[in-house]
Amino acid sequence: MSEWKQVGPDAQKRYTYQELPIGDASIGMPSERRKTGLWRYLRPRFVRRFSPCSEACPAGNDVEGFLAFAQQGRYGEALDTLLGESPLPGVCGRVCFHPCESACNRGAFDEAVSIQGLERFVADGEPTSLPVPGPSRKEKVAIIGSGPAGLTCAYHLRRLGYEVTVFEKQAVLGGMLRLGIPTYRLPRSVLDREIDRILSLGVKVETGCRVGHDIPWEHLLTWDAVFLAAGAHAALSLGIPGDSAQEVISGTAWLEAVNLGRPVSVGSRVGIIGGGNTAVDCARAALRLGSNPVIVYRRTRNEMPAMEAEIEEALQEGIEIQWLTSPIAVRRRNGKLVGLECIRNRLCKPEPGGRARPEPIDGTEFVMEIDTVISAVGETVEEAYLPPGLKGEQEGAVWVDSWGRTSLPGLWAGGDVATDPRMVVHAIGAGKRAALSIHASFTGEDLVELGRRLRTGAKGAFSIDRYLNDDLPGVELVNEVVGPDHLNLHYAEPLERAALPRLDADQRVRDFSEVNLGCDEQRARAEAQRCFRCGECRGCGNCYVFCPDGSVLFDPSAHEFRIDYEYCKGCGVCGNECPTGAIVMTAEGEV
Amino acid sequence: MATRKMLTGNYAAAYGAKLARVEVFPAFPITPQTPVMEKIVEFIENGELDAEFIPMESEHSVMAAAVAAEAMGARTFTATSSQGLLYMHENLFVASGIRLPVVMAIVNRVVGPPNTVLNDLSDSLDQRDTSWIQIYVENAQEVLDMIPQAYRIGEDERVLLPVAICFEGIIISHYMEPVEILDQDKVDHFLPPYRPKQVVLDPDRPMSLGQIVMDDTYITEMKYQQQEAMDRSKAVIREVDEAFGDAFGRWYGGLFAAEWIDGAEVVLLTLGSLASTVRAVVKQLRDEAGLPIGFVKLRAFRPFPAQELRDCLSHVKAAVVLEKGVSIGAGGPVFLDLSHCLNRRDRMPLLIDYIVGLGGRDVTFEEVRNIALTVFEERHADSITNPVRWHQVRGL
Amino acid sequence: MINNPRDALFKEDYFHPGHPLCPGCPGGMALRWIMKVLGRDSIANVGATCLCLPTHVYPHSLEIPSLYIAMAPSPAGISGMSAAIRILKRKGVIPAEKRITVFAISGDGSTADIGMAALSGAAERNDDGLYFCFDNEAYMNTGIQRSSTTPQFSWTFSTTKGKVQRKKDLPKIMAAHDIPYVATLSVAYPEDFVRKVEKARDMGPGFKYFQIHGPCPTGWRFPEHKTVEVARLAVETGFWSLYEVVHGSFNITYRPRKRLPVVDYVKLQGRFQGLTAQDIRTLQNWVDEKEEGPGS
Repeated sequence: MSEWKQVGPDAQKRYTYQELPIGDASIGMPSERRKTGLWRYLRPRFVRRFSPCSEACPAGNDVEGFLAFAQQGRYGEALDTLLGESPLPGVCGRVCFHPCESACNRGAFDEAVSIQGLERFVADGEPTSLPVPGPSRKEKVAIIGSGPAGLTCAYHLRRLGYEVTVFEKQAVLGGMLRLGIPTYRLPRSVLDREIDRILSLGVKVETGCRVGHDIPWEHLLTWDAVFLAAGAHAALSLGIPGDSAQEVISGTAWLEAVNLGRPVSVGSRVGIIGGGNTAVDCARAALRLGSNPVIVYRRTRNEMPAMEAEIEEALQEGIEIQWLTSPIAVRRRNGKLVGLECIRNRLCKPEPGGRARPEPIDGTEFVMEIDTVISAVGETVEEAYLPPGLKGEQEGAVWVDSWGRTSLPGLWAGGDVATDPRMVVHAIGAGKRAALSIHASFTGEDLVELGRRLRTGAKGAFSIDRYLNDDLPGVELVNEVVGPDHLNLHYAEPLERAALPRLDADQRVRDFSEVNLGCDEQRARAEAQRCFRCGECRGCGNCYVFCPDGSVLFDPSAHEFRIDYEYCKGCGVCGNECPTGAIVMTAEGEV
Repeated sequence: MATRKMLTGNYAAAYGAKLARVEVFPAFPITPQTPVMEKIVEFIENGELDAEFIPMESEHSVMAAAVAAEAMGARTFTATSSQGLLYMHENLFVASGIRLPVVMAIVNRVVGPPNTVLNDLSDSLDQRDTSWIQIYVENAQEVLDMIPQAYRIGEDERVLLPVAICFEGIIISHYMEPVEILDQDKVDHFLPPYRPKQVVLDPDRPMSLGQIVMDDTYITEMKYQQQEAMDRSKAVIREVDEAFGDAFGRWYGGLFAAEWIDGAEVVLLTLGSLASTVRAVVKQLRDEAGLPIGFVKLRAFRPFPAQELRDCLSHVKAAVVLEKGVSIGAGGPVFLDLSHCLNRRDRMPLLIDYIVGLGGRDVTFEEVRNIALTVFEERHADSITNPVRWHQVRGL
Repeated sequence: MINNPRDALFKEDYFHPGHPLCPGCPGGMALRWIMKVLGRDSIANVGATCLCLPTHVYPHSLEIPSLYIAMAPSPAGISGMSAAIRILKRKGVIPAEKRITVFAISGDGSTADIGMAALSGAAERNDDGLYFCFDNEAYMNTGIQRSSTTPQFSWTFSTTKGKVQRKKDLPKIMAAHDIPYVATLSVAYPEDFVRKVEKARDMGPGFKYFQIHGPCPTGWRFPEHKTVEVARLAVETGFWSLYEVVHGSFNITYRPRKRLPVVDYVKLQGRFQGLTAQDIRTLQNWVDEKEEGPGS
C-alpha cells in the first residue's frame, strides 16, 4: 500500500482511485489554493485621510504627525514636524486661538486633545535637525514687515532657495508678536529664539526702514517679487464726542509702548473700550502697571472676539468687564477726563451669518468714573503709503486672491494688511501661501495642481514640507477628512484632558511673568496618548486580529500590516473595526 | 499456557478482547451484551488489561468515541446488540468510510417491536451495507478465537476496515461452554500491536478525516476503494484462518466451511449457532439414510464469498438457506445475496430459503431434518414457486 | 508599533486563508484565535457547523489533525481521543511529556439539540478536552432554521413569524455539570476570548465548555462588515454576557460601562425586522431579568 498521499485540488487532474489517499482523508493541503479574493467586490485599502485638526490649522501644521511622535516621546522629531510647516510653534503654542482643538474628533467623545499645550511643550525643546536653505535661486524677494506673515514667508522662501530681504519699520523684528502681545502671554525669549532660527537660514533684514518713506515703492517693485505684510496699525476711532482727547489712547499704540518697554502712563482707573484680544491685553497690562481697569463691551461675553482663556484669566485677575455697554461720550471736567458716559444695550436677534446686534436701551445712561480711556475697537491699514493702483477691500485692507496675489503683478500680500482674519496663525498661513505662490510664479508650476497635491483638507491649508521633501506618506493619501463617523470609538478609553497649570492670579498680576506655565513631560506624554490619530494607522492590529480570512498580514519586524488580496473576500470588518478610519472600502475596479 | 475454562460466549468475547490487548473500550449496556462490558471493566480494574474504559451515554456516542480513539491509533473494541446497534448505525459508516479497523462484538438480538431480549440475526444482517466485515460464529470458542483474528484481518493494510464478530444472544452469549483461553504470548506473536501508518491523527503529520466532498470529485473512487478492500479481505480472512490454525490448532474455514460437498445433490447452508444443528442433521441423513446431502457454514456475510460459493455449489441440484433473519418483502438476506451469485446460464441449483428462528424461536433437529427431506424431494424440479418459506409460522 | 500587547492574538496562524466561509464570518475569527492559542499540538474534532467548511472540504485540510464524525457526537470524539492519548502515553507510543490538546467545535444545533446527550455525557464523565459551541443561533449550514439557542422573536426559515420560545441557556446547563470550566465568548472581545481559552488549556484534565456568540451576517441579515459591531452590541446591551465559571465559581469577565438598551442591538439585524415595541420590551425584560435577577 502507498504511504500517505497528498492530492491536489486541481479539478483538471482526475486522480484514479489508486492515487487517492485512503479513508476520505485530506492530507497536508491547507486551503491556500482556493483564491477567495475572487469573491471580493469591495476592496479594503490602507490609506491616510486628513485629520480634522490638521485641516483646521490655517498654518497647515501637521498636527497629527507631531502628536504621533509625541505619543512615543520623540519630542525632537515632533518639533521637526512642526518646523516643517511653520517657524513659530513656540508662538502658536502660546497665543494661537487653536481651531485645531475645536475640530478635534475627541471633542465628540470626551474633550478635545490639548493640542496647543503639546505644541508649546514640544516647541520649547530642541529639534533633531534644523531646516536648511534650499539650493540657491537667482530671484530676489522683498518682504515688507517682520510680523508672523513676513517672517513665515521669509522662512519658507529661504527653504525654497530665494534670496530674501525683510524690511521692517521698527528697530526690532516680530511685528505684532512683539508690539501687540504682552510678555505675560509670550515671553520674548521664546519669540527671539524662533526669530533667530528663521534668520539663521540667511534672511537679510533691514530694520528701521519704512517702505514708501525710507525706500520708495518704485525701487521695491523692481525686485523679482514683493510680499507686503506690513500689518494694520491705524486705530479705528470710537466715533463718540470727546474721543480725540489726549487721555483717549489707541490700544495698539499703548500696548506697543508697553511691550517695547517705553515709559507709559496710565491713570488709576482706566476704561478699555472693545472686546477683542487687544482690549483684554490692554486691561491686563494696565492691571500689572498698577491701574484698575474696566472693560466696556457692547455685547455679552459670548460674543467677545477675545479668546475665551484670555477673558477667563482676566476675570480671575479681578478685571471688571461691563457687558452690554456702549460708550456714548467722554466726560471732561476742568480739561481733564473724568468719566465715560455709557448706555446699556440689549441684543437683537442676529442677522443671518452675523453676530447679534446691540441696541441701546433708552434711559439706561450712566457715567463711569475713569481717568483714562483706551480705545481698542479695531485697527485698519494705513492706506497712505500703499503703492497707487492697488485694489483694496473694506477697512482699507489690500485685496488678494486665494494665493496671496494682489492686483499688481509681482506684489503679494498677506497677514493683517490683506483680507485675512487677523490672527497670528492666519498670518503664518498667509506667509506660507505667498511663499509657495511666489515660487510657483518662477517655476511655472500650476498652483491649482500644487494645491491639490499638497492640501491637508478642504479648508485651504496645505503642506509645504510635502513639497520640499516630496514627502508623501507610504500609503495612499485620500482627500477626505476623518469625522467622528469614520472612527470606531468603542476602542477609545475616556481619558481626562490634562489641566495646564497657570500662575495664581494674585501672583501673576504683580509683574509681566508668563501666566501659563506649560506642562511637564509626564503630563505631555499622557495628553499625547489621548490623540486618536484620526485617519492614520496607529498599529493597533484590529484589522489583523479580526480578519476572518487571515488575509491581513502582519510583518512584526516592520510593524506593518498588509492586505492579501488573493484571499481577502472584502467583508469590510477591518474597516469597521479600524479605530482611526485608516481603512477605506472601495468598489473593486474603481481603484 | 493455554487454559480451559467454562465460559459464556460473552466472557469468551471479553477474554478475546483482553488477549488482543485492546486499548480503548467505549461501551453502553444492553442485554444480552452487557456481561461483555462488565467482564472487560473487571479486567481493566483488576489490572489484567491495560486499557481505557469509557462508560458512554449512548451507543451512538460509543461508535463515535470508537472512531475517534481508533483514529488516534489506539486498538479499540466495543460490543452491542440490537437496538443499540441500530442506534450507532450512522457511525458504522464513519468507521468504515474513514477506514478504521474497529472491532465490535455484536451479540445478536431481535430488533423490536415486538421487543425481546432473545435472538435472531436481524440486527446485524441489517448492517450489511455499512461496509463492515461481518463474521458469524457458532460457539463460545469461536467467539474467543475470532476477536484476535478480527484485529489481524481489519488492521491488515490491504483491508483497513472495521470487523464485527456476530454471535447470538442467550444461546451463545449466556450459555457456558468449555473454552480454551489462548496463551497470551502466542497471541502477542500472532497479533502485533496496532501502530497505523496510513490513517491516523498525528500532529506531526496532520490530516483531516471525514471530509466533505463537495464537487464532482472522488466519492465513487472512495467507495470503490472500500469495495476493493472488502474484496481483498477475502484472501486475508483465509490467510489469517490458516495462520491461526497453524498457531493454535483450530481452523474455521475462512469465509465459509463446507462439508460433504463432493457428490452432494442438496446442500444446506446456514450461519451462526444453527450450524451445529444443521451439521448434525446432515451427518445423520448421510450416515443413516445415505442421502447425498452437503453442508455449508457461512462465516463471512461481508465480504460475501459469492464467487467462492458459486464454485462450491456449481454441481448441486438444490441449495437451501436456513437463516434467522428476513428482509420483509424480499427474503432472507443470505438467500438474496446467494441468488445473485448463482447467475450461470448453464447450471444453476434450485435455491430455497427457510426463514427460521425469528425472535429466538427454537429450531429443532426434527424441523431441520424435515426441511432437508422436503428439499431433497424437490431437487429435480424445473422450477419452484415458493422459494422463500416462512417455516415456523403457526397457521400457515 | 503594536500599542496593545495582545500577544496570543499575534501568534503564528495555523488557520489558513482560502476557506469557503461567507465574508465576515465570525467563525473564521473564532477558529483562527482558538488555533493560535492551542497551537500545533492540538487535534480538532469538528461537529456539524459551518466550521466544517474551513476544516473539512476535500481535498483541503487543516494544519492540525482534524476529524469529522457526525452531527451529534463531537463530545464523544473528545472522549475517544483523550482516552486514546492516555493509553498511548502509558504505552510510550506518544511521549508522556507531549501535551496534545483535544478540542471539539460544533454548531449550536449540534450542541444544544441533536448532540445534547453526547455533550452532557462527555461533561458528566469530565473527559479531557475543550468544547466550543459556535453559537450563531440557528442551523446556518442548512440554510437558517431555528435551533434551541435561537432567541425569541427571531426570524428563521422555520420560524417565519418569529420564534416563540426563548433562547436555551446552555452555558448555565453546562455549569450545572460541575465541570472545571465554563465560559462564554464573543468575537468582539478577542482578549477576553484568548485569555479564557489559554486558561482552560493550562488547567489540567477535564471537560471545558465554551460558547462563542457568533453573529452571522448571512443568517441574521446584517451587512457583513458589521459582524464585530453586532457581537459587541450583544454584549454591551446584555443580550449576551461574558463570564466564566471556574470550578463552580461564577465570575463576570466583562461588564459594559453602561448597559445599552436592547433595541440598539436588535435594530441592526434583519432577523428582528418585524418586532413590535412590545416585543422589544419583552426582550428588554428578558435581558434585565437575566442581568439583574437572582443568580446573575
